[in-house]
Amino acid sequence: MLEVRNVSLYYGGICAVNDMSLEVAEGEIVGLIGTNGAGKTSLFNVITGFARASSGTVRFLGRDVTGYSGPRIAQAGMLRTFQTPVGFPKMTVMENMLVFSRADAAARPSIFRGASPARAVLEEAMEFLAIFGLAARAGDWVQDLAAPELKMLEFARAMMAHPKMLLLDEPAAGVNPALQGNLIEHIGALRRRGVTFLVVDHNLRFIRDICDRAYAMADGRLIASGPTGDVLNNPDVIRLYLGGGAGEEAA
Amino acid sequence: MEGILLFAISIGTLAAIYGMVTLALNLETGTGPLWDLGIVSFFGIGAYAYVILTAAPAEGHQHYLYGFGLPMWLGVIGAALAGAVAAWFIGLPSLRLRKEYFLIVTLAFAEVLRQLYINEDWLTNGVAGIYGLEQPLRGLVEARQYTYVLFALAICGLLAVWALTRMISLSAFGRACKALRENEALAITAGIDPRRTSMVLYVLAGAFTAVAGVFYVWYNTLVVPGQFSSDLTFFVWTALIIGGVGSSRGALFGAFIFILLHDSLRFLQVSGETAVTLTSLRTALIGLLLILILRFRPNGIFPETRVVFKLPDRAKAAEGAKRKGLA
Ligand SMILES: Nc1ncnc2c1ncn2[C@@H]1O[C@H](COP(=O)(O)OP(=O)(O)O)[C@@H](O)[C@H]1O
Ligand SMILES: [Mg+2]
Repeated sequence: MLEVRNVSLYYGGICAVNDMSLEVAEGEIVGLIGTNGAGKTSLFNVITGFARASSGTVRFLGRDVTGYSGPRIAQAGMLRTFQTPVGFPKMTVMENMLVFSRADAAARPSIFRGASPARAVLEEAMEFLAIFGLAARAGDWVQDLAAPELKMLEFARAMMAHPKMLLLDEPAAGVNPALQGNLIEHIGALRRRGVTFLVVDHNLRFIRDICDRAYAMADGRLIASGPTGDVLNNPDVIRLYLGGGAGEEAA
Repeated sequence: MEGILLFAISIGTLAAIYGMVTLALNLETGTGPLWDLGIVSFFGIGAYAYVILTAAPAEGHQHYLYGFGLPMWLGVIGAALAGAVAAWFIGLPSLRLRKEYFLIVTLAFAEVLRQLYINEDWLTNGVAGIYGLEQPLRGLVEARQYTYVLFALAICGLLAVWALTRMISLSAFGRACKALRENEALAITAGIDPRRTSMVLYVLAGAFTAVAGVFYVWYNTLVVPGQFSSDLTFFVWTALIIGGVGSSRGALFGAFIFILLHDSLRFLQVSGETAVTLTSLRTALIGLLLILILRFRPNGIFPETRVVFKLPDRAKAAEGAKRKGLA
């Protein structure tokens, strides 16, 4: 489904991603771990069109999408989240949902047609909101949501786009354990609906719980890959995390 | 007494024209992500395009080459098109830029255009301007009553712009613009192309503002370059901030309040010296109002409100989700 080949990304003289390759097959949940500054977000940026790779290629659904713009990648069915949860603050929860809907995307070019969204779209959005416990907040501005609600909204709105692939950048960061369990369930449910995942996180237990396979990065390079358990037990990875201070607590 | 009424109607007409521009600015800045400091460009382009298309050929003492003498309705369409094309042209280089630079570039373009009106005699008759322009439906009523007719026309224009801008901002396209205003990176992940979307928005605002420019020509029966200085841009921004950025009601209200403060003192018959004092007084008055608004109602008199949809039943949605095995 996703195939990253020998991608490098330089910011001026800094090499943020150094000759990285990875693959994600349809239906998989793949983890990407590494300490702060390892280049995980930078790699996400390259894959999703937010940054242009200095070299290397990205293929998605069999198509070469290297150098595609962000909107084009999104339209191709790849959705990403950001490290810090974001929404459109001064738009209602329902509007946030609609912006991500296929119906809205299709209606955007016809400026002078049909002001309000179709009943079916609103109903679909409401169902997703119900699943993520946000139905009661549909009419509220996103700026009034609590942090955990915003987290849920990120998933709910992603459903509206019916993505083929979701790239999650530290979904468990700052999330309490109870909600983490919730997240894991939701990710599992999405996978059953055919969504493929690439997940970055520092929380190694979280990664262990959800990922089939994992890649580990350090200083922009790949240092280990394979089944999640093997990667987490890889001596290089353990040294990195112990040295980096993330600690055994996570593993 | 009738004098006061006529004056009020005339001020109301001017407010309606400002209202159209304020609504257009609200479309760019309130709904969309564009901080446009050059909206007067389209006001001027619209006015001049209309005049060139509809004016009679120049007389001996005038220098402009073209007065095509076309019917007024063609002039209005031509003005809207000219505004749209101008927006496209200005947008091409400037919409690539970050917000802050867009602001500066649009301001600069407005000034360039004003210099153009001044210097391109052959097109605009320069600083002398073009006078004695015709007004629509003029023959319908006697001269004294025409003030009312023009007022009615301006109100119709205002309502049309209000309805259109409202429809646009509530459409899927409008939501995309709002998303860009709120968080461009996130909007991109929803498949929204910032440049293309902004361009369409800018072109629409340009067209609306240009049509307002036509009303301004009807109101004044003349065009001169001095009418299109960046003062107008700042007036309209002030009106929008007072009324409430992101609210069409606010935009309308702001425009009327602004004109009331700015132009109603003109009615007083006073000596030249007092007039000068009053002029600076009104600027101070508006400045004071702006400060008070920003201090006590930073989102304007009518702040942006939540968009309300008739939402589906929650319980039914929860059921539906269960039935589909999503929950
Ligand atoms: N926009 C940028 N400009 C310059 N350097 C950057 C930028 N973004 C990231 N970097 C650098 O690239 C490296 C990788 O960062 P990042 O991809 O954010 O790591 P991670 O997500 O793994 O914590 C870091 O050294 C960081 O300082
Ligand atoms: Mg990161």
